[in-house]
Formats: sequence, C-alpha cells, structure tokens
Amino acid sequence: MTTSTLNHVAYVLRGNLVTAAAAAGTALLIAVAILGPWITPYDPIASNVSIALQPPSFAHWAGTDQLGRDIASRIIAATRLDLLIAASAVSLSFVVGALIGSLCGYHGGRVDRWIGRVVDILMAFPLFVLAMAMVAALGNRVENIIYATALINLPFYIRFARAEVNVRRNLGWVEAARASGNSHFQVVTHFLLPNILPAMAVQISLNLGWAILNAAGLSFIGLGVQPPTPEWGIMVAEGARHITTGKWWLVAFPGLALMLAVLCFNLLGDGLRDILDPRMRT
Amino acid sequence: MPSSSPRLAWIWAVAVFCCAVIAGPGSADAQTRAETLRQVTANTINTLDPTMAGATREAFGLSMNVYDRLVAFTRKPRGNGYIFEKDKLRGELAESYTVSPDGLKFTFKLKRDAKFHDGTPVTADDVKWSLDRHVSSKSLAASQLATGSLTKPEQFKVIDPYTFEVTLDKPDRFALPNLAIVYAIVFNSKLAKSKATPDDPWAQGWLKDNTAGSGAYTIETFKLGEQIVLKRNEEWTGGIDGKPAPFKRIIMQTVPEAATRASLVEKGDADISIDLAASDVLSLESKGRLKIVSTPQFNAFSLIAFNTKAPPFDNVKVRQAIAAALPYGDLFKAAIFQRGQPLYQGKWASAPETSDFPQAMPVQQDLARAKALLAEAGFANGFETTFSFNVGSAAVSEPIAALTKEALAKIGIKVDVQKVPDAQMSTFINEKKVPFFLEASIAWLPSTDYFFRVFFTGPQRWNYSSWDNAEIASLTDQARFELDPARYDTQTRRMIALAAAEVPAILLWQPNQDAVMAPAIEGYTYWFHRQVDFRDLARKGS
Amino acid sequence: MTTLASISRRTGTRFVSSLPALLGVVVFTFILMRVLPGDPAVFFASGPNAGKAEIEEVRRLMGLDQPLLYQLALYLRDIATGNLGRSLTTGQPVLADIQQRLPASLELTFTALVLALTLALPLGIAAALNPGKLVDHAVRFACTLGVCVPTFVSGLLLIYAFYYLLGWAPDPTGRLDIFAQAPPRITGFLLIDSLIARDGTTGLAAASQLILPAATMALFVLAPLARMTRASMLAVLGSDFIRTADAMGLSRARVVGVYALRNAMLPVLTIAGIVFSTMLGANVLVEKVFSWPGVASYALDALLASDYAPVQGFVLLMASIFVVVNLTIDVLYGIADPRIGIE
Repeated sequence: MTTSTLNHVAYVLRGNLVTAAAAAGTALLIAVAILGPWITPYDPIASNVSIALQPPSFAHWAGTDQLGRDIASRIIAATRLDLLIAASAVSLSFVVGALIGSLCGYHGGRVDRWIGRVVDILMAFPLFVLAMAMVAALGNRVENIIYATALINLPFYIRFARAEVNVRRNLGWVEAARASGNSHFQVVTHFLLPNILPAMAVQISLNLGWAILNAAGLSFIGLGVQPPTPEWGIMVAEGARHITTGKWWLVAFPGLALMLAVLCFNLLGDGLRDILDPRMRT
Repeated sequence: MPSSSPRLAWIWAVAVFCCAVIAGPGSADAQTRAETLRQVTANTINTLDPTMAGATREAFGLSMNVYDRLVAFTRKPRGNGYIFEKDKLRGELAESYTVSPDGLKFTFKLKRDAKFHDGTPVTADDVKWSLDRHVSSKSLAASQLATGSLTKPEQFKVIDPYTFEVTLDKPDRFALPNLAIVYAIVFNSKLAKSKATPDDPWAQGWLKDNTAGSGAYTIETFKLGEQIVLKRNEEWTGGIDGKPAPFKRIIMQTVPEAATRASLVEKGDADISIDLAASDVLSLESKGRLKIVSTPQFNAFSLIAFNTKAPPFDNVKVRQAIAAALPYGDLFKAAIFQRGQPLYQGKWASAPETSDFPQAMPVQQDLARAKALLAEAGFANGFETTFSFNVGSAAVSEPIAALTKEALAKIGIKVDVQKVPDAQMSTFINEKKVPFFLEASIAWLPSTDYFFRVFFTGPQRWNYSSWDNAEIASLTDQARFELDPARYDTQTRRMIALAAAEVPAILLWQPNQDAVMAPAIEGYTYWFHRQVDFRDLARKGS
Repeated sequence: MTTLASISRRTGTRFVSSLPALLGVVVFTFILMRVLPGDPAVFFASGPNAGKAEIEEVRRLMGLDQPLLYQLALYLRDIATGNLGRSLTTGQPVLADIQQRLPASLELTFTALVLALTLALPLGIAAALNPGKLVDHAVRFACTLGVCVPTFVSGLLLIYAFYYLLGWAPDPTGRLDIFAQAPPRITGFLLIDSLIARDGTTGLAAASQLILPAATMALFVLAPLARMTRASMLAVLGSDFIRTADAMGLSRARVVGVYALRNAMLPVLTIAGIVFSTMLGANVLVEKVFSWPGVASYALDALLASDYAPVQGFVLLMASIFVVVNLTIDVLYGIADPRIGIE
C-alpha cells in the first residue's frame, strides 16, 4: 500500500465515523475470537443445573441457560467458531469462485459457456433450501455447514470475477504481461486476480455477515452445529423460544453479539466500497 | 399518521393495504365462540384413514372422533382430569358383548339405532368388512391387530345384521383391547365399497381423503397441513350416555412455533394445546390463569438405548458402567423440568417389588462404581462413541445429550453428540446403525409382557437395543397367553429383574403430558393414543 | 424489424437457453435427495408395530426399489407430463399441494416487496440527495440494521410486541383469522379474492394477518433496495441530461422526481426482481414463525422427513419462477431501453 492510499483510507475513516466504528468493531471481534479461551469467565460447556435459567447477575452478567451454563462465556467462546465458519466459507467460495470466474473471463469460448451454464443452475436454486438440503444430506457438522455456505456463495464470485476480468483482459498492461513471456495461467493469477481483488473485498465483507446469518438460520431449523458446542445462531434460536416466558437474556445477549458482527461486516463492506471507489462518494 | 391512538394506527396501516377493497356485506355469521373448541398443535393431520402408513399421531386422534369402534376403553378421574382404564371396556357400536367361558369366542350385539353419517344403519356386515380390511389390506392395522391374535377374515363372522362374532385359536387377553384401539375403526362398507376399484379393493385411496364413519363428529373442512374443522354429529350414539358430544364445532389448527402456541392459549384465542414446550408450561402454571392437566404418560417412556449387538455395548459391564455414570436428577431437571415420573433410583436391588412396567429401575449415579465396571470391562482408559437424537425432540434431547457427554467424560468415555433429522434417525434406528442414542416410545396396550415383547425381543425396529436374550424370549411367549395371574406375575417380575441386571437400555422417565386449556374446559382425558378426544370435553357454563 | 418482434424473439431465445439450467436443477436436486441418509419408507411406516413387510410395501409404493437411473428417467417423464409425484407427508399430489400453497407465498412476498420498496425508494433518494451527510449515514445504518437480525428473531419479536404485549395484531396463525369466512377461491390471493367478492371485512382480516410477516421480510430486504436506489440515483444525478435540466431552470422536485427517478429505476427494478425470487425461496423461516401455509415451509417439512417429491417439486418451481422473473425484467428492460438488443 502506498502512502497516498493510506492517506486516502485515513481520510475516509476520519470523514466516515460509521466505517471507523465498524472497523473497530471488527477488530474487537477478531481479538475476542483469538483470545476466546483465555477471557471466558467460566467453562462454556460446564453445566450446573442447580443455577439453571438465572437472570443476569454480578456473577453471571449475561445470565445462565437451561443447563446452568454461563451465557457470557458461551458467547465469547462462540465468537471463534462463528467467525471461523464465516471466514472459511467466504474464503473458500472466494478462492474457487475468483479462480474459475477469472479463467472464464480471460478465456471465454466453450469453457466459459459451460461454466456459465453451471452457474445458471446454481443461481436458479432457492439457495437457503439448497444449503439446508446439503447439510441434511452430508450431516450437520461444522465443515458441512461451511461447504454449504460456500457453495451457495460461489455463483456470485464466479460472475463477479468473470465480469471484472472480462473488461480488463485486453487492456494494455495485460497485453504487456502476456508479451513478456508469462503463461496464461500466470497472467490470470499474478496480474489479473490481484487487480480485481479490491473490488471483490467489498463483496467479501458483505458476505461474511450473510454467512453468519445463514448459519443461524440453519441452527433455527435444527441443522446447525452439534450440541453442546456454543454457537450464536443456536443460542439465539433456542433463546427465541423463551421470548414469551420472560427469559429475555437467553435471546438478547447472543442476539446482540450476532447483530454486532453482521452489522460490522456490512458497514465495513460499505466503507470499503467508498475507499475503493471514491467516485461513489461524489 | 394523523391518529393519536396506536390501535388506530394499526387499523390505519391495515386500511392502507385494502384501500381498494370496497366494504361489502359482513362475513362469517360469527359462530358462537362458546360452542367451538379450538386446539393448536405442532404437527399436521396427513390422512383421514389412521391405518395408512405414515399416519401422524394427530390423525390417530382425529379418527377417534370421526369413527366408532366396537368397544372403547373407559376412564377414571385423576387429579383435575381423567385417565383411561386399560382393563375396563365398554361398548361403543356394540350395545353389549359376551366372552365364551373358554375365552375363544366374543359375541357383540350392535346398537340398533347406530347410524353412519349418511344415515345408513351400522350393521354386522360393516363390522365384518372393516375388520377384514384391517387384517388383509396393506396397512399399519394388520401387524397391530396381530398382537391380539386377530389375523384372518375367517375369525370374523356375521350372525345376523346386529350380531357379530370373533373367534380366536387361543385365548388372548389382548384380543378385545385391540378392538378398542385407533386402527379398529368401523367403516360404512356400502359407501367404501362403492369407491373401491379393482386395484384398490379396500378403497384406501378414497378413504385417505374422505370419511365413511359413524363417529361423534363429521368433517366440515379439511385443509391439509393447516387446519381441520369438525362439526358435531347430532345422531351419534357411541357415547357413554348416548348423547351427542358437548362441543358443536372443533377447530384443530397447526401452529409450528411452540412459543406461538403458548401465547395463543394464554391469550384465550385457543382453548387447548397438548404440545407446549415444558418451559412455557412452567411459566403458564406460575401465572395460574389457565388449567393444566398433567398426566405422567404411564404407557410411554424415554430411554437411552445401546446397540447390544456390537462392541463396546455388547459388554454388559460397559452398559452397567454408563448406567452408573449418568446424573439422573440433573437430566430430569434440565430436560423436562421434573415434569414426569422418574424411572431411575428404584428402591430394589435384584427383585422388583411389583410386576408393573415401566417402573423405576435400580440405577443411580456412582462414578467410582462406574469407573470400576469400565475397568473390569477392559476399558480402563475409556473409549469413543457417538450419542444420537432426532432434531424434532431437540428441546428435550439437547440438555440430555450435553449432560451425558459431560458425565461420561468423567469416566473417560468421549462422546460425540449427533443431532440428526427425524427421517434419518428413523432409518438409523431401524437399520441398527447408531450405537448409543436417545428415544421415546409408547405402547398402546400397556402390560408388562406387551412392553417386553415389543421393546425387548425380536429383530423389529422397536427393540431399540437389539437385545437378544433367550430367557426373555421364552418368558414373553409364555406370559402372552398365560391366564393364571400368579404365574403371570412371576414371569413378568423375572423379565423386569433380567432387564435390571443386563441393562439393555437405560430407562429415564415417563414425561408428563401437559394439556393446557382454558379454565372453563372440563373433562380432559389422557388416552392411550396421547391425543385430545374431543368427545370428552365441555365448556363449563354453556 | 419492429421493437415488439425483437423483444419477443429475444424472450424466446432467452427462454430456450434457460431450459438446460432447469434440467440441471432437476437432476441435481434428484441426486441430492437420494444422497440423504434417511430412508423415507422407514419414516413413513412408523406405526407402533410396523415391521419389515410394511417398510418394504412403502418402499415399493414409492418406487424406491428400482435402480436410481430408472427412477430418474421415470421422474423426468413424469415432470414432462406435469406430474410432480406425491407427497408422503400430506398424502396429496405435489402439484396440488403447490397450487394450494403458492398463492400464500406469492401474496406474502409481493406484499413484503411492495412494503420494502415504498420504504426503500424515499430512503434511497433522500440518501442520494445528501451524499455523505447525516441523512445518508442514518439511512445506511438503519437499513443495515435490518439485515443484521435473523428473520426468525425479528419475526418472533414482532409477534411478542404486537400480538402478545400490545394486542394490536391478530393471532399469528396463518393467512386468515380462523373465525373469518374465506372468500370464494378464484386466484388464491386472499386480498384479490375478497376484492372480487367485494368483501371488505375479509380483505381487512387478511391484510392484518399479512402485515407482521410482510414487515419481517421487508426489514430484511430493505438494505439492498435502498442501497441500489441511492447508487443509481447518484449516477443519474451526476449525468449530463440532469445538469441540462437543472440549467434549463426546471424545479428541483421535477428534475429529481420525474427525470432522475425514471432513469434510476431500471437498476432498482433488476434488484427488486432478484430480491423477489430469493425472498420467495428463502422465506422458510418467516413462514415457519407465522404458521404461514406457503411453499417454503412445505419444502422444509418434506426435507426433514426425507420426503423427496415435494422438495424436488419446490426446487423446480423456484427455479422456474427465477427464470420467469428474469425474463420479465429482460422484457421490461427491452421496452424501457430499446437499445438493448440480443447479445
């Protein structure tokens, strides 16, 4: 990154407190995810039925759940898993999607048409139902939730990368790269992909939030990660069923954590768009 | 918004939606609410013929109200409700019945004024056709009726239009009760036969979507997966007093969200629900504004099953070790908020005090003993296994799974919890693919030997643990046809003692059925089929 | 060649070229459902005494005893003749079930989309007129907040607030109050049917049932619609012809409300189309929470029961709707901007 870009970033962050806050929030989430096991006040999966379903107190500031587990500890412990699911799913679909998409965009021709067909098929699916069916078929384990989320994101990345590469492939610097003896594959991976990366970063940030919501939705219908693993979506889904009984803390705190994460990723994505495309700010 | 009241704001919002709708004549001559009963359920009714493979429990309950059987179980008061009596029957379509001294012949005298919904009288020919259908057509009925030695059409005989006879090869105390269960319904044979085709001689296709019965209610509208509305049959004669049912109209509606069902009943928009979440029941109980009839499901049980055919659970010591490792009290509290009858911590050691089953078995948490047993079994360092349950039961099963995992970790067993979609769980259980899992089941005709025959012998699905014990097999064969009460008592006590010693499965509890209803609803009865029998219910003061 | 002929030709080509995608969807779903480890026969033969024989019988009835390729061929033949199979969960032909339930889903999704658009357009325009200012940030923040709450949570919260606590909303149990009389079924859309029947009471009842679930869904799709409106408006406002219009002294309201908006609507329309088809397939959770008898909750129940036919039927339906919606947008585009020709 050159100094001028850094200056631009600093300028945008100064001028846009929302994006700055989102960046800070994301940093906080990542810190919690990394430090998770060291900062939980209690063991997130140790039960103590004698103190089940207690409202927030000094000892348990987010209350306890049906098994007497500390909700605050579970939320903290879940951060790592949730970010892991979101990040793995999104990077998987990004890597595969960008590669396939840019090769299609670069080559065109028959391969492009065939892959376009496959993408059309994927796009035509009701995506959440596709994710449900995949998890149901492969078993509800973390890796399958990641694969399902990655698959339903894939077509967007392929299309995006294809379109971006398509407009660049005949530009002068690409011609130059080719002329200086790079293979086609090298041109794509070394020159074109890095060039479209910034544009795709926006999509990535937005998708991270979406992946977390997707996992939460799967949890709600019983296709989430396996108990007793703490995960925001499952905690929210279980807590939501207690809404009418007045046990608000079961849904409120995990819900806030989930909202915070999705909000940060979304606002960050918007902010990135502003940084990368100053025109949009007019 | 120009309005000040929020209520008005709402109406405004609605009005914006329908600005195009020109107010017409008022609809729905409001059916008198007091004469209508509205039940909300989680599941749907998927067929009007309860014998169809795949019929849901709600479809069973419905058929009790739309059809009649020859006989019916009676009920007795329990707490603020009623409970069915498995050993006392009364005539439903039959005015009276006699049993021959050798127990081989049952003679039924039919009520002369009983009529089907289309007005044709109920005759012995209808009964014969219906029972022939149950034992010969491909349906769920045949295998159930076989548990009462009712297997072939030759056993059913029409003596005259109002006299009907059933004969057995061997005296079987389950024969008569089997004529009172959900499947033994009597069809209007003329109507059904007119809808039969050469491919479908028993009109199974037609009866799935239509009814041909004589029961207390007829079907007014049926929207699959949404709701069903029943209308009272004013000509019904099957009741104890021969009078029509108290409610004129019944609405049964599917509401998948448990919290919503609870709100509906609490606000008085629905009159009754029997499948609320335990936590909602607790909170409604503490508010004290509704009537809650809690009945331990004495013909059902929740259990943890092992695959006793494969290692490590083929080793009785491993099973005993696990039985000694579980925190029963915590499980009971966390999973069902202690709303039920525990089946653990029985006060006996080797010989049970009664011959009732299910009863509390002599197991309790003793980690030292568990560790010792595991070491004796050759697993001093523990082992790894999976523990499975179905998604549909997650509210109850997840706490059990989490606590089981935690408790077994203490004796070195590493458990991987697997929550599986319901259909997959059924397959896994049927194909004996899961080593260690949670299940709940029910016997319609609860007798000790029946329980053991169904749940602990043979290769069928319901023998969850695939338990294969020669002595149990021979005991169940003997007890099935045993007429001497003393000998039956000895045989069944032996079965229970064997189950306690061998631990083919760990019995947990009999959960309560919590029927939550408006305070004015009276007469709620817990039936063997665990559904609401609308014929019992009335609204006080109307 | 006239514009009309060009459009219809283009539509035809596009339609034919989308057929392989539909076939792919059908085959892929078919295989995916067969990979499910659940055996529907076991699940559906679950009477207290169902044995091996009963299970085999169900399997035979479902055609599950045949080789997979043969089953697929049969299924494709059935689809060609308009037969989507039979649901074991409901016991009805899938086509009948879908016909029964699709209007419910469509009505809900349309209402939600209209609701979302009526909010998103003004918000997006307001943001575009004040780029970088407080209004812009506030709009963006508010819309983003809507996307952050899972629909099942916002739905349950809305029920809790408006039904349970305040008592303004009717009970959240489906499309029509249980004691209200449904209008004679003509289109299956309750609002339209009650309009035809000139039955205001029922129309009102149906509309009040619609508000909460529609609001839940609208909240979730507000962000993409408002964002696209803003971006598209910004682009148009910066273009030459707007500057010209401004320079000619036309009123600001006229320039923005008529010239800019008309031109900015095309991309918004595209997004609305995409949002509509995704919403229709993705409102599983909303339908569950509000006991809405739509197609998505139907597919979910079938999926959990390993009931193949309804899931396959649902996916095919959604894919077809996706194709049709895309075609419609295409045609509208063609009408709005005749320069767009065949690729």
